[in-house]
Amino acid sequence: MTVLAATEPLGRRLEAYLSNLWDGTVKVRELARIPGGASRETYRFDAEIGGVSRGLILRRDPTGSLIDTDRQVEFLAYKSFHGIVPVPEPLVLERQGGVLERPFFIMSRVDGGKVASVMMTEPYGARAGAIGKELFSILGRIARSDPHALPISGCFTAPALADCWREALDAWQAVIERDERHPQPIVRAAMRRLRRNPPRPAQKLSVVHGDYRSGNFLHDGQGRILAVLDWEMAHLGDPLEDLAWCFDPLWNHFDDGRVAGTIGEDEAIAIWERDSGLVVDRSALAWWKLFSAVKGCAIWTTSAKEFVEGGHDLVLGFAGTYTARRHDRIMADRLAQLVEEGWS
Amino acid sequence: MTPTASDLLTGCIKTLSAQVAPEDAGLFMTARMRTVALLNRLVALDCAQGASLRVAENAAIRALIAQAGPGHAALAQEAAAAGDGDYAIATLDAANAKLRRLLIDLHEKAERAGDGELDRKILKFYRDMAERRELVLPPVKPG
Repeated sequence: MTVLAATEPLGRRLEAYLSNLWDGTVKVRELARIPGGASRETYRFDAEIGGVSRGLILRRDPTGSLIDTDRQVEFLAYKSFHGIVPVPEPLVLERQGGVLERPFFIMSRVDGGKVASVMMTEPYGARAGAIGKELFSILGRIARSDPHALPISGCFTAPALADCWREALDAWQAVIERDERHPQPIVRAAMRRLRRNPPRPAQKLSVVHGDYRSGNFLHDGQGRILAVLDWEMAHLGDPLEDLAWCFDPLWNHFDDGRVAGTIGEDEAIAIWERDSGLVVDRSALAWWKLFSAVKGCAIWTTSAKEFVEGGHDLVLGFAGTYTARRHDRIMADRLAQLVEEGWS
Repeated sequence: MTPTASDLLTGCIKTLSAQVAPEDAGLFMTARMRTVALLNRLVALDCAQGASLRVAENAAIRALIAQAGPGHAALAQEAAAAGDGDYAIATLDAANAKLRRLLIDLHEKAERAGDGELDRKILKFYRDMAERRELVLPPVKPG
């Protein structure tokens, strides 16, 4: 395979790679980096082969990242759910970094969609109800899927149903302990409380998207979700983890009456229950809601550390400052409320 | 600790002075410039209350520990010794780190002892602390 030097423009290196892979002359046009979080560099481009042009997305590992995620997990998550829920079609996974310096994968591009900024009020306008119905229906279908029948299951050891909460909490607590640069009494208290008041075992094992929320899907502006994105934190676990994360006030677009800026929580739960075939245990959901704030705190703690000690990626700086402090407040309020409601 | 104002501005300077690859121009750089603006807004908010917020939080933690009862006298002594020095942000943050560690100790002891009153008092303190530390940005309205 011809590997061009790193000093060659990215588009030329991509052309050489795809021409070799697809055994024909490939022209890369309109290559442009697009904003898409800090866990991967994201580029859009058109690949032309034999006079036919196709819109594609390149996701390349960054030099530093928000969280250490495996591009194979993300690629296989797309592969697992393509055809089950709206996701882009995954096409190429390159685990060696040589061709484009760092590992990457390529997937089909979904055109004509918008992504809501979490800083925006009423991002879905009059279509909020339709978006909410679809958002929680899709999440229900993800929860319903048998993880053992999906390609992604090979990436993980399946936790026991009774251990889903503990494994999730252990993992994020380890991140906080590794990356904390200043003592954080609120999250410490939240983690102790979560351990003393564990939820019931998961009803079933599911693929958990890991970052399912407003801002991580493309919609057409007319009430239809075109693609669920950003599967890099996918894992196996309790499906309530995704539901609670999506309900977190951080993603509600400053509207406490609607989850993810879409519909009321009760309606969202009813849709999710209908399409997952599961029943939401409200006390377990309360546990996962507090856990969501802890998980957020871990992500923002790592963001802050990497911003200061790493490459000063501004997205990490924003997450490690504004988002961290907002989530601290959500966590402190939720913790106090749960203790008032009888948590030991 | 969340990044300091100095950290945030350093990040902005690095971004603004970095060479831009051709494929990074356009949408990506437009988004980056918006983030530079947002971070400058955060810096302005943080600097407006920088020292006073830290002095107040440190004093409140010392008071909370001092009033926790005779069983926590050793912690109270340590807290009193964690002074604010010359009020430089770095000195205040160093004192804050010591005080927060003592507060974590105090809370763990209160929980182990089943001291519900102190537990609730600390939880209320956490809410107030998080509220004071929050940096409020105005939401973006559609259109």
